[in-house]
Amino acid sequence: MNLTVNGKKTVIADKESLSISGLLGELDVSDPLYVTVELNGDILERINFDNIVVRDGDEIEFLYFMGGGRGQC
Amino acid sequence: MRFESLVVHGEPEAGPCGPTTVPIVQSSAFAYGTASALEDVFRGRKVAPVYTRLGNPTTEALEKRLALLEGGVAAVATASGMAAIATAVMSIIRSGDEILASASLFGGTFSLFKETLSNYGVTTHFVDPTDVAAVRSGVTDRTRLIFMETIGNPRIDVPDISAIAAAAKEARIPLVVDATVSTPCLARGCDLGADIIVHSTSKYINGTGSAIGGVIIDMGRFGWRSDKFPHFAPFVKRYGEFAFTARVRKLIHKDFGACAAPMNSFLLIEGLETLALRMEKHCANAIALANFLSGHPKVNWVRYPGLAESPFHEVAARQFGGRFGGLLAFGLADREGAFRFIDHLRMAKNAANIGDVKTLVIHPASTIYCDYETEDKALLGVAEELVRVSVGIEHKDDIIEDFAQALSRSAD
Repeated sequence: MNLTVNGKKTVIADKESLSISGLLGELDVSDPLYVTVELNGDILERINFDNIVVRDGDEIEFLYFMGGGRGQC
Repeated sequence: MRFESLVVHGEPEAGPCGPTTVPIVQSSAFAYGTASALEDVFRGRKVAPVYTRLGNPTTEALEKRLALLEGGVAAVATASGMAAIATAVMSIIRSGDEILASASLFGGTFSLFKETLSNYGVTTHFVDPTDVAAVRSGVTDRTRLIFMETIGNPRIDVPDISAIAAAAKEARIPLVVDATVSTPCLARGCDLGADIIVHSTSKYINGTGSAIGGVIIDMGRFGWRSDKFPHFAPFVKRYGEFAFTARVRKLIHKDFGACAAPMNSFLLIEGLETLALRMEKHCANAIALANFLSGHPKVNWVRYPGLAESPFHEVAARQFGGRFGGLLAFGLADREGAFRFIDHLRMAKNAANIGDVKTLVIHPASTIYCDYETEDKALLGVAEELVRVSVGIEHKDDIIEDFAQALSRSAD
């Protein structure tokens, strides 16, 4: 499957169904809890990361707004 | 790791070697080798520093450590405690909104709410923070946040934060808590039930009175997806549980520019590492001094939640794990008696600060609150005979002996 990730052509192994959550793991995206995902120009809601499936030719941006740490509760 | 280790180490850093203190990155801006590399940072494709008003590696180390200690999801360090409060509150409210705040507030916060924000169409109602029913009934359909202090300064009262958190949750509004006086050492923000914690880090976190700073810590659990907060909608969509911190960082903190200085962030981290040890001593010395003052014939009353007769003893014991902090207040005969006492102190310093390793005293009515109306002083519990004490970490007998001789000589 051919994707454009953060402006760069990226090829990943074809899978029957790859969700945004799955793609975050597949590409080992850093700080997945912080990342904002833009799919073909639209910002995705985090609650939909498991449901939205990526398709050949999709343009995806992984975006961050901050540092500032993460605690635990 | 346990709290005493977390304050020292924070999250373990990877790597075989490196400095054992956080480096001071004293740079306004950060250069990149290519235009596309800097574009990637500005677009958010990569987390990296650009300009110190927006973020700085030394300050980020402080933010990470404080978020970890409070159990929050993210933190934003600011230039001062008041900058933290103003930035946090202005990130939530809009013109026409109301704030429900404790009537037992630090003077700067009271002034921000009563004077400054009222000029921008925001009304604050003040309520007894120890009366949960009054807090519940004080919420109107325009209230957009509840603001409390874990230990009121200088009234030294202790609200039941978890009960107020339940009231805030029912009303679907966030609870913002100033935990400067208790610190995460006595209670973590996430355990208290607060949605947002603010601190003046200039106090116990720094510990030595060497740097001014503040911090906003987001617990990441408030439901901003609400008709009460339509201005949060784009942030909820993009940033989920980080919606509040994103709005702080991308709007108010960026636009008002009250950023932390890297040198101050370094000093605050250095201080933070001894917080657990210092708080233990502050608490032990405070109870010893409170007991001494309670039995002194010239002292009319003592406010300290560690005293069994304090009306806040039970809630403080539960909330803070049997510790009661380092701040107390006591009353002498009158204003003149308070002045004479302060003038005769030999070791304790007369200064407008708290949380220093040194014992500090002040007469709030004539200093911090000197410009306040009489009714506002009464509302805030600032009596003319009141002396506020931030008990330091000196030997307890030296503190008590200093107070004893000053009380004895203050009759002169």
